[in-house]
Amino acid sequence: MPLHSRFIATAVALCVAGAAVLAQEAGAPRTVNAPPKPTGTTPRTADGHPDLTGVWNGLGDNLNGVPNQLANNGIVIESATAARDLHSGQAVTVFPRNTNRPLNNEQAERAASLLRRSGSNRPIYKPEYWDMVKYNDHNANEEDPSNNCMPAGIPRGAIPSYIAQYPNYVFFVYPGQGGLIATQTMYRMIPTDGRKHTPLQELDGTYTGESVAHWDGDTLVVDSHGFNSNTWFDQIGGYMHSENMHVVERFTRNGNTLTWTATVEDPDYLLEPWTTTPRVALLRPAAMLPESQPCSERDLAHIVTKEHH
Amino acid sequence: MRARIAVALVLALAGGLAVQSVRAQAPDRARVLRAAADALGMVRWSDIGGANTRLPGIDIINTMELVGSGTSDMGGRLVKTDYHVALGYNPAAMRVEMTRTPDGGAAQHTIQTVRETYAWDESQMGAGLVPGKGTATPMNAAAQERLLQLWTLPFGVVKGALFAGDKTIVSTEGGATVLTFPLSGPLAGVTIKATLDGKNLVTKVETRPDNAARASLATETEYSDYADRAEVLTDIKTPGHIVRKQGGRTVLDIQVKTWETNDPYLVFPVPPNVKTAATR
Repeated sequence: MPLHSRFIATAVALCVAGAAVLAQEAGAPRTVNAPPKPTGTTPRTADGHPDLTGVWNGLGDNLNGVPNQLANNGIVIESATAARDLHSGQAVTVFPRNTNRPLNNEQAERAASLLRRSGSNRPIYKPEYWDMVKYNDHNANEEDPSNNCMPAGIPRGAIPSYIAQYPNYVFFVYPGQGGLIATQTMYRMIPTDGRKHTPLQELDGTYTGESVAHWDGDTLVVDSHGFNSNTWFDQIGGYMHSENMHVVERFTRNGNTLTWTATVEDPDYLLEPWTTTPRVALLRPAAMLPESQPCSERDLAHIVTKEHH
Repeated sequence: MRARIAVALVLALAGGLAVQSVRAQAPDRARVLRAAADALGMVRWSDIGGANTRLPGIDIINTMELVGSGTSDMGGRLVKTDYHVALGYNPAAMRVEMTRTPDGGAAQHTIQTVRETYAWDESQMGAGLVPGKGTATPMNAAAQERLLQLWTLPFGVVKGALFAGDKTIVSTEGGATVLTFPLSGPLAGVTIKATLDGKNLVTKVETRPDNAARASLATETEYSDYADRAEVLTDIKTPGHIVRKQGGRTVLDIQVKTWETNDPYLVFPVPPNVKTAATR
């Protein structure tokens, strides 16, 4: 097996290992990727707010944070004959599979790379940065800042795999993982006691920034600034940002589902604020977080093409 | 009596055949369009990263970027042309950047952009979006002609034929499969006739407008030399040679060097002054 193919195989194996946890729970393979419909009631804490505590994953992300590439990019397959782009609403033609033979690693990687980039929801950068963003995505194997065991950052981390909710703060856990999409474990401790942000000029930029949260009705609003510029703000696309990035995340629990969106403002790079396509995670009452895999990057030096992983 | 039974049988048989023929058309159309989409590499699925999924395939073509060179029409003469196109189907948009250099003359650089019903010329990439950074000149009357270039590309043809549904007619001419279908939206009234080769690849696209006032929408484009021209291979087949004619005269003859799909960051925000001009 060529060296390159072995690395692809490793990445596939890691993804499959993560997905296996869900496979055992889910039974038959899913043939649609529409956001799950909520069931059950929304539990509340003593102070009356929805209780977000629990392990969250499922149709959008698995326990190791690997996103479903279609839902991630906003193309939702609602049935065997209907799909649409969640952002624009435009219909996308669906075709039945014409073979039962599994794709080989190369075919699957190429398809995944295209699928993840087919949605319409793209941030609008100032024109002088268009070529730089294009370069970043095209050369993501070398340029992606999270590829060397660095934290994914916010909002790229998206829905945390575990949330613990206390009267005056929430605690988010994002398990890291090894492999070609190696990222470092992240956690965030976010006050909900009404405190204000530290002025931006007094902060040293960090990967997850400084976050404060409040409740807007039944939605938890997490407001973050004070980032460093060492992350990209989505899983694909090469979306760089400055230290002046400001992110507002919104978490809404409905029964056993948690819907997340993030709005990114960056007056240095972006022409206008950009809001992610909503992601929906399912509560996994019986699930336990897996051990965070040690992150030791050994693959990148051996990648010889620009193919994405 | 016997004659009446015979007539009834003939009528029933004819009726049955007619029904069969109608029934046969639909699956045949579906089969041909699927084959054309597969030939271009448009239909893709992948279970990597998903959680125990077996999702169907979808049309994954959205944004594309191609770079080539050749000749194009400039004031009635074919001149040396560097050709750079960015395009997207969601939303429908296209930016054609050309540097045309006539023999002994100065190079002329143009950027012609369209997004849905808006069209404008850019003095530089993204002009008109940031104050003081270039000029965007509204050209909304040119939107139809520019959109036609998008929908006459091989990928646009297959998408358009799929979108037209049962209005798409599949026929055979000279042994070749031909798709005929109407466009819609801003291009309603324009009919496309596309010819497929033995590998189900689009080789010729003819457009016919519904009236003489839209004569500029009558075009003929030939595509050949298909291959995967992406630097990061995609298994998507793109033409290496494009020849477009209007009124029987060649207006564009381009050899394509690279053709990328979905990977590039390509956006087409409409400058505020172009939106304003469209409301006047």
